[in-house]
This record gives sequence, structure tokens and C-alpha cells, in this order.
Amino acid sequence: MNSIPSDLPLPPWEGQPYSVKRHGVTLDNCDSEPVQTPGCVLAHGALLVLRPTDLTILQASENTDRLLGHPADTLLNEPVRAAIGSDAEASLKAFLATEPTDRNPLYVLTLPARGDVPPLDVTVHTVDGVAVVEFEATGRTGAAEPDYYALVKKTVARLQTANTLQEFCDLTADEFRTLTGLDRVMIYKFHADGHGEVFAESKRADLDPWLGLHYPAEDIPQPARELFKQVWVRPLPDVSGDLAELVPLANPDTGRPLTMTYCALRGASVMYTEYLKNMTVTAALTLAIRSGGQLWGFINGHHYAGPKYVPYQVRAACEFLAQVVSLQHQAAEDREHLVYRLKLDGTHQQLVAQAAQDGGLATMTDGPLTLLDGIAAGGAALYHLDRWWRVGKTPSETELEALGEWLNDRPEFASPTRPLYATHSLARNYPPAAAFAGVASGLLATPLSRTNRNLMLWFRPETIHTVNWGGNPHDKPTVLGPNGPRLSPRRSFELFQESVRGRSLPWLTVELDAAARLRMLVMELVVSRAERLADLNADLTRSNDELDAFAYVASHDLKEPLRGIHKYAHQLLEDAAVAGEENRKKLDGLMRLTVRMDSLLDSLLYFSRVGRAALLTEDTDLNEVVAEAVEMIEARRTEGPPEIFVPRPLPHARCDRVRCREIFVNLLSNALKYNDKPQKRVEVGFITPAESHPRPGCPDGSAGDTVYYVKDNGIGIPARHFEQVFKMFKRLHGRDEFGGGTGAGLTIVQKLVERHHGRVWLDSTLGAGTAFYFTLSCRDGT
Amino acid sequence: MSGTKQLPVILVIVEDSDEDFDTVSEAVKRSGVAVEVQRATTGGGGLTLLRELALDRPVLVLMDLNTPGIDGREALAVVKADPALKAIPVVVFSTSANPKDVGFCYAAGANAYHVKPVRYPDHLQLVIDLVGYWFGRVVLPAVGGTTS
Repeated sequence: MNSIPSDLPLPPWEGQPYSVKRHGVTLDNCDSEPVQTPGCVLAHGALLVLRPTDLTILQASENTDRLLGHPADTLLNEPVRAAIGSDAEASLKAFLATEPTDRNPLYVLTLPARGDVPPLDVTVHTVDGVAVVEFEATGRTGAAEPDYYALVKKTVARLQTANTLQEFCDLTADEFRTLTGLDRVMIYKFHADGHGEVFAESKRADLDPWLGLHYPAEDIPQPARELFKQVWVRPLPDVSGDLAELVPLANPDTGRPLTMTYCALRGASVMYTEYLKNMTVTAALTLAIRSGGQLWGFINGHHYAGPKYVPYQVRAACEFLAQVVSLQHQAAEDREHLVYRLKLDGTHQQLVAQAAQDGGLATMTDGPLTLLDGIAAGGAALYHLDRWWRVGKTPSETELEALGEWLNDRPEFASPTRPLYATHSLARNYPPAAAFAGVASGLLATPLSRTNRNLMLWFRPETIHTVNWGGNPHDKPTVLGPNGPRLSPRRSFELFQESVRGRSLPWLTVELDAAARLRMLVMELVVSRAERLADLNADLTRSNDELDAFAYVASHDLKEPLRGIHKYAHQLLEDAAVAGEENRKKLDGLMRLTVRMDSLLDSLLYFSRVGRAALLTEDTDLNEVVAEAVEMIEARRTEGPPEIFVPRPLPHARCDRVRCREIFVNLLSNALKYNDKPQKRVEVGFITPAESHPRPGCPDGSAGDTVYYVKDNGIGIPARHFEQVFKMFKRLHGRDEFGGGTGAGLTIVQKLVERHHGRVWLDSTLGAGTAFYFTLSCRDGT
Repeated sequence: MSGTKQLPVILVIVEDSDEDFDTVSEAVKRSGVAVEVQRATTGGGGLTLLRELALDRPVLVLMDLNTPGIDGREALAVVKADPALKAIPVVVFSTSANPKDVGFCYAAGANAYHVKPVRYPDHLQLVIDLVGYWFGRVVLPAVGGTTS
């Protein structure tokens, strides 16, 4: 069978079992270094590989002579009792038969001291079909064994009191240092990009603090990270200690190297020992902190005063604590985030309540409470009702427009359950964001609907934050070694400061969760508003029907008796038997009242129809409309033709031609009716929004519209009546002055203008004349 | 026609208001046309009347819309859907000037629509004009089983 193609560079150990002692690693292959099969043990202990069926020694570390009293080559193919005696062999055999030793090193017994060899702790585990027995000095000095159970119990109890992650990690570091007696214990936490940070530290007073220092991801190679997903603890009691190679390097039964993943004595990579030496570390103990199957970080113990042997019993206690820490650090972080989460949820619920009461999502940007009161951000924006609503510092509307387009195509938005996009360096994914990195390096975005492309966004400003690196992370010095370029682990751990641009503070999971929940609340609100709108529409249809019925009552049922009354009065008057001037006058009055009542009913009916009939809006020449209106007025009048003056041709407007004529008819006839001048003069004109012509009394909302006006030289209206003239049946003059009338004309004008989405108002000088202004703001489809 | 004796034309009035009926009767009297007035106070009554008439003379119906029971609208629709009656001219005479009513009546086949004025003299004059027009100026359809 062909092996690897020859054009690929082969590692120097290719074709033979690997030994870290013989081969080391190079820069090219350090990430493929077989760290799990180093072929060597730390020389302070000894190791035997046994065939489990008959406990025959298959492999032995080359230093058995010193620790077990027999050279390795004399032990091969011998039963294990040749090394440890018959009693210990019997215990080992029984232990292997009953205990769960697979990939799980367990303490079996302690071999008593012999000559100048100290007592040895014996542990065993099975892996890949062999039993691995490890021998290490107990480290006991004869003093009473500490009660590790009590120590660990106390430590766990203390850790549970921590309210924040920081407090929890500080405590962890302290407790580990007390337990192990190491000079420095650090809690090393991985960031999302793989680099690490010293998050907590407990150290000998005279040492330089490393707290807050960052280390590049390459400092901990991938194989090492994988290893710590399988084992909890990794001791290196003497960084400068020797390695002892296995004899032979490969298992004679299988031809395979020994898997040493679970061995406490596993020989360390040269990479690792050189790295530690460069930091002047003389002994190390590393424990994994895991979170949901992932490596969250390390508990890193360093010693500077020579070798530091942490015996098996203490390491077992440490391992148990590391497992507790793995389970509990999340709880501590959760407790820390709980307060923030409660605050966010409370604020968001108030925001939604405010939007529900005060009519709309826009209040989330301009209400008393805004989005910025919730998730910590520099600015926020909503795309809602086809426009942007912004609060705080945000990109411009043009920039938001483009960003919105880009966001709507993000795959994250396709998630049916949690469509959220969050980044703390937007320009990396979306280069145009570099232009507004100052206000929006961080973006948290969520869609409010799929169909309308509505969005809710939070922005975080760029924080030009300084990272304190332990040495220059961009410097990976190499030297040429006998086997090619050798990775020389960083020599300098001098503080190296680097400024990071285009980044904001990252978004916390709590914040993402809160944004997702707010999105649900907002969507529920939108749905409930739509339901309420449907209810209101149904109500409106009902009231329109009722209004129709009422209008009918008014037109028919009230008019019929009115006609009867008029008739009887008329007949009485014709009857010669009714004598007396006084009585005849009363009958006249009776008839006049019925006629007036009739015209009031007609106005009321007309008004009710004006409000409801659909408009037929079209492009209309207002000159024609005014000409028709003038014609209609002249047909009604008995006097000579009035002077109606149009100083310049009127523009076209989008309106309902018939209703618009009605507006002019009413305004023109009022202008002529309430006029006591011998020469009545009415001017019809317009002012475009671009013209600087004064627009007295123009409402704010109409500043962008063309204003039409009908101006007369009539009697004028006192300012205090400017509002009242538009009230139904409100007349400012006696019933029979100025030709009478029902007082509905201006009410109808106002209604017609409002139907055109316009406004009507007036300006007047008593005795000099009145000008009525109005706007028509109809758009297509409205 | 035999030509021996002119039978008076028939005016069927559907009207629930006594005052309005009175006004119409007065107007007919003043018009000088020989008219036989028959009254029903509901649309349903009007239909019965029409079906019982010996259709040997010209007939005109003056129909109020809002009557109790079967109202004028419904009666109008029935008349205009009935092959035996639909040739009879129906003139609607209502208080309502509502465009909906006007539109409905013409669509249902009404021959004219008038709004009752409130002023008594106007009211009177309108009916006089109506009678004069329909029985004096208009050629009404030949009715009944005339064989001549």
C-alpha cells in the first residue's frame, strides 16, 4: 500500500515510532506533533505497559533501574511481580478486575520505600488494550496526611458565594494556590478568536503581576487544546527535568506507540518546555476549565523556585475542583448577568407598553423611554412605516438605507426562531461601515417582520482599546535547527501594547437574548394592533351603517310631519275665516320655520354624505373648477355680476373635481354674501411652497404644500371667531342678515378639504376683508 | 275604443301620509283632468290594487317610497318584474333626495322620480303639473284586452 505522496515533506519520525526526546518538532509540523504519543515519560517517575490478560511487561521506561531496581530490558516479557513483588501484583490484578480504570487513572497502592528510593504511589489505567502502570514519589514527608476531602468541601462552599464571574475566578485562583503551594496560579480565559487573557491571578507577593495580559492563540497549539478536552490535569513538576524513553518505543504485540493521553507522566513537548523556560517557569500544573464540551480556559499554576512535585493525592483534589469550577463558573456568570437581564427585560417591557399606549413603535426612539435605556448602546434606529426613526448616535439615513439592504440579505435573518445579527467590528463584514466606524463599529440587528423589511438596530461606538499582550503577538521568531526551521517559543514576555481600531465592546449573550425577546414583544404588539385595527374597522362599518340609517330618518321621517305642518298653516292662512293681522303673522312665521327646518335637515344630510362618499381624485385644472364655481354662483344671484379676480392662472392639482368645485362655491358665495362694499371684490390665487409670500396662520404640517386662497373685501371676521366659523350651524350674524343661510357652508368646506388631506384656515381684518386659505395634499391612492 | 263615453283615467296613489294624500287629491281636483283616484297606504296594498284593476283605462302609479309593510321600493320592483304590470308607468314621489334612492328607483324601472317639496304651494303645483303632464301630454300605453 502506498504511503504518503513523496512530494509532501515528511516529518522526521515518519516510518518509525515518535519520541519527543529524539525528534522534537519544527515550525512546519508543531501543529501535527503527536503529543498524545510522545514515547517518553517525565524522568521523575517510571512507567510499565502490561498485557492485561497475564500482566506481562510489554514496555518499560528506561529509568526503571533507578526507581524499581531493575533495568528496563531485564523486565520485558517478565510478569509484573518481577518489578513490584507478588503482593502488589495480586492487588493490581484484583484492582483491574473490579475498578473502572478504562482511560481513567486510579490510585492502587503505595510501594514502601526501599533503600534510597522513596515510597511510590502506583496508579493504573487501561487504554487501547494495555494496562499502564505509573510510579511516582508520594511526596509525603511523614507528617499526617491532610484531609483533602475537608479542604475541597470548604473550597467548594466558598466558591458558591461568589456573585460575579470575576469574584469566582479570583477565589478559584486563591484556593488553588493554597492547595498546591505554587508561586502563581492564573485563571486563563479564552476569547472568541482563540487568544487568551489572564482573567484572575493569585501570586507570590514579589512576582510581577500578569493579570490582564493577553496571549496570542498560537501560544497554545491545537493538539494541546484537544488534549484538555480529554484530561483534566497536566502536571510538569520540573521544566528542566529529563525525559525517559520507553523500551521498546512500540508495543511488541501491536507495533503501535503507546497512547499517553491519560498518563500523568506523559513527556512534555519541547515546544511547551521551551515556552515555560522563556518565562523562567521551573514547574507547572495545568487544569482544564470546560464549558459545555468546549475548553473555556485553564487554571495555570507556575512555580519559579525549582521543581515542584504536586503529589497524586493533591492533583486528584485539584482535578475534582477543576470539575466543580467547570460546572460552577457558568452559574457565577449567570448570576452576574441576571441583574442586567432583569433590568433589560423590565425596560423593554416598559418600552412596549409605552408603544402600545402612545400609539406606535416610533415612541421607542422619541418617547420618554427609548431603546437606549435598555441595552447599553450609543445609538439605536428603527425602520418602521417606511422610514427611519433614530435616537442617539447613529449612521445617517442614507447610510442606514444601504446597511438595511445589506442586513436583509444576511443569512442570520433567515433563522425562523432567532434572527439576530451581532458584531463588534461591522466594517470587517461590511466594508462601507468603515465610514461610520466612530458611531457604529458594533451592530446588533433584528428584523421586526419579513414582509415589510422592518428593522430594529443598536449601535456601539468604536472603542480604541488597548490590549496588553504578554510579548509581541506578531513576532514568531524561528531559528534554523538540524531538522529545518525550529519554532523557538517566544523569548520575550515584555509588555507589548497594541491599539485595536474599528471595534466596539462586544455584545453579551444577555443582550442578544434581550434583543430577541424584545423582538417577540414588538411583533406581538404589531399583531395585536392589527387585530385591534380590524375591530375598529368593523366598528366603523357599523357606525357608518347606523349613520346612514340616521340620515334617512332625518331626511324622511322628520320631513314628512314638517310638510304637513306647513300645509295646514298654509291652508289656515288661505281660509278667510281666520281673521286678524296678528294671527296671519303667526301663521307666516310657522311656515317660515318649517322651511328653515327643511334646509337645516338638507345641510345635515349633505354633510353626512360628504364625509363618507369616496373621492375620485384626478389631475384637475383648477382654472376650470373656479370658472364652473363662478358660473354656479352667478346663476343663483340676482345682482349684477361680481368682480372675481384671478391674478395668475391657477395650477393643476390632484383632487376630486366635483368636491373641489364645492369648496370654491362655498368660499366664493361666502365672500360675496358677507360683503357690504358697493364694489364687491374677490381674489382667487395660490402660493407655492417655494415662494416667500407670507402665509399667515399656515399650520406647521402644511409648510410643504401649495396654499390656495379666496380673499374678499367684505365685512371681516373677528379673530376670536376664527375657529368657530367652521362649526356646524354656527352663524355669526342674525338669521336674516346677509341673505340668511344654514351655517353649514364652512363646515362642509372644512370636511371637503380634510377629505383631500388638506387644511383650511383664515386670516381676517374686521371691516377690511377675509382670506380663506386651504391646501390639497392628495396623493395617488389616498 | 268605443268612443261613446270617456272613462276617467286611474291614478293609483301609494301614500301612508294622510296630509300628503290630501295634497295630491286637492291637486288632482285643481288640475281639471278627469281622474279616478285610488289609494293604498302600503306598497303591498298598492300591488293588490293594481292586480284587481280592470285594466281598461290608462293607469298611472304615484309611489311613495317609505311606507309601512312592503315599501314603495319593493312594490316598484315587483311591478316592473311582472309582465302583466310592467307597462304601467310608476312615478316615484318621495321625501328622500338621497342619490342612493334615486339611483335604485331608476334602476328598478321607475318612469320618473320627484322629491316632495316642503312648501305647500310648491307641493300642490308639482302634483298639478304631474297630472297635467302624464294624462295630458304623455302617450300612455294601450292597456287591457283592447281589440280595436
